[in-house]
Amino acid sequence: MTAADPRPAGPRDVDPRPALIEVAGLSASYGRVAALKPVDLHVAEGEFVTVLGPNGAGKTTLLRAICRLVDGAGRISFRGQDISTLRTHHLARLGIVMVQEGRGLFGEMTVRENLLLGAYGLGNAADEVERRFGQVYALFPNLRQRADQIAASMSGGEQQMLAVGRALMAGPKLLMLDEPSLGLAPRIAAGILDALGALNREGLGILLVEQKAPLALKLAQRVYVLASGSVRAELPAHEIGSHHDLARFYFH
Amino acid sequence: MPSLVELVQSLVNGVGIGLVYGLIAIGFCVIYNASGIVNFAQGVFVMLGGMFTHAMLIKLGWPLAVSALVSIVAVAGIGVLVQLAIVRPMWNRKAPLFAIILATLAVQLLIEQIVILTMGDQPRTYPDFTPGGPLKIGDIAISYQLFWILGCGALMVLLLTLFFNRTRAGRALRACSQNREAAALLGVPVDAMLMLSFALSAALGAAAGILITPTQYTAYGVGAPFGTNGFIAAIIGGFGSAPAALLGGVLLGVVQSGAIVVVGAGYKNVVALTILLVVLLFFPQGIFGGRGKKA
Ligand SMILES: Nc1ncnc2c1ncn2[C@@H]1O[C@H](COP(=O)(O)OP(=O)(O)OP(=O)(O)O)[C@@H](O)[C@H]1O
Ligand SMILES: [Mg+2]
Repeated sequence: MTAADPRPAGPRDVDPRPALIEVAGLSASYGRVAALKPVDLHVAEGEFVTVLGPNGAGKTTLLRAICRLVDGAGRISFRGQDISTLRTHHLARLGIVMVQEGRGLFGEMTVRENLLLGAYGLGNAADEVERRFGQVYALFPNLRQRADQIAASMSGGEQQMLAVGRALMAGPKLLMLDEPSLGLAPRIAAGILDALGALNREGLGILLVEQKAPLALKLAQRVYVLASGSVRAELPAHEIGSHHDLARFYFH
Repeated sequence: MPSLVELVQSLVNGVGIGLVYGLIAIGFCVIYNASGIVNFAQGVFVMLGGMFTHAMLIKLGWPLAVSALVSIVAVAGIGVLVQLAIVRPMWNRKAPLFAIILATLAVQLLIEQIVILTMGDQPRTYPDFTPGGPLKIGDIAISYQLFWILGCGALMVLLLTLFFNRTRAGRALRACSQNREAAALLGVPVDAMLMLSFALSAALGAAAGILITPTQYTAYGVGAPFGTNGFIAAIIGGFGSAPAALLGGVLLGVVQSGAIVVVGAGYKNVVALTILLVVLLFFPQGIFGGRGKKA
């Protein structure tokens, strides 16, 4: 099989793990512009999946449609439960959390307040909240030192750590991230992606959207290539040898 | 030229009415920050607070504390109703903000008409909370009600500040004001928060109306001027924190009542609106801190 083959029935069948999230025929449009043609996609329990695609491919639209931030048509199920009619704020409690493009921090609040809001769904269970603070600070020690700093005043890398840390406070089963390395120095971006790798090894399902590939590919087990709103290919990460290869999918 | 006594007296009066403007202003800010909506029905909450309290206190003979509390709860309920029946459906249908804002203006006129039909159009008032007074300092008279306004105003701002900074719901409300999508993604029910903001600001408006009525009167039409002045105070305060809105109100109240003794009562609104334009022209972010600061 060549790498250019879309393989809808490929790796899926050999993965013995049950599906964590399954997206079937998801489409979305802005007015007349179809930003997402019907897309099928899934992430298995504990899997690390990367979606690659050029500017305007529909990557952000895909994640936003899954989170009900844009209206989409299609079926989305999470651990077998149909979630396509839920509202955005119901998803966090199920364990679906997204780190938005541009991070979506509460810029005028402190690091600690941002993290506390991540744990909103826990109610007032103080012990559990403290336990999660411990986990997040262990992963990103910088955040502990900056707990009382206003989020907007931190560096880009620290802000992205906070965005990921805040999502972790919600106790996700599936973490979706929209271009977390955007605008960061390569070393900083690598640090954040390494943290994602570590979380994945502990069993967290990850759906990562990136435009530039190398780091994201090293961690991913499976890759979707998205262009012009459609899935152009689905293949194991190791089959994409170099960034150069991707151009074929983008422009064919 | 007015005498010094007249000026000081007008300063005292201005602080009283200004604190009330400030409370109304905070009500504007709470809804605006949570949703971007300027709720033009804010003034009717002030009017209803006074009207309901009058009805319970004078007509039914209930104790003042009970009348005031029941009024505040009832007006908060009306705030929730406005949100549920008008604002939420429009919001969910993605109506443009200006349409929602116009709808709140219609709500104001509608409620005024309902009040005329059910409670009449006669102005009414009730006595100061503490009988006696005024307190005389030299030639300056300070009505006891002013101390009630000061005390209750300070208490409410303190409670609000604690609510916004120390409680889960308060933090969630601030989160909605900074980034609604991010809040929803973390599980914050944005609709419910918007409802809470209407309840809170209706309660604040009602409290303002209850406190000010003894110093003047209440009637179906007082909502519009109170609303306008509260709105101006909110703009002076920069639509930001509660203390800034309160300061904006005091500044407006003092300048207005100063204008009454210096250039005459007829110029009161001319002065208020001139201040509004000056602030909008030269301090578009408000005088006391920018918009969207910590509430
Ligand atoms: N709010 C919107 N209104 C109209 N068109 C939009 C809107 N958002 C996105 N689009 C269009 O939909 C298409 C997909 O956009 P999307 O943001 O999903 O792409 P993306 O893959 O995330 O791109 P990038 O890598 O630049 O973030 C683009 O053609 C874009 O112009
Ligand atoms: Mg994008």
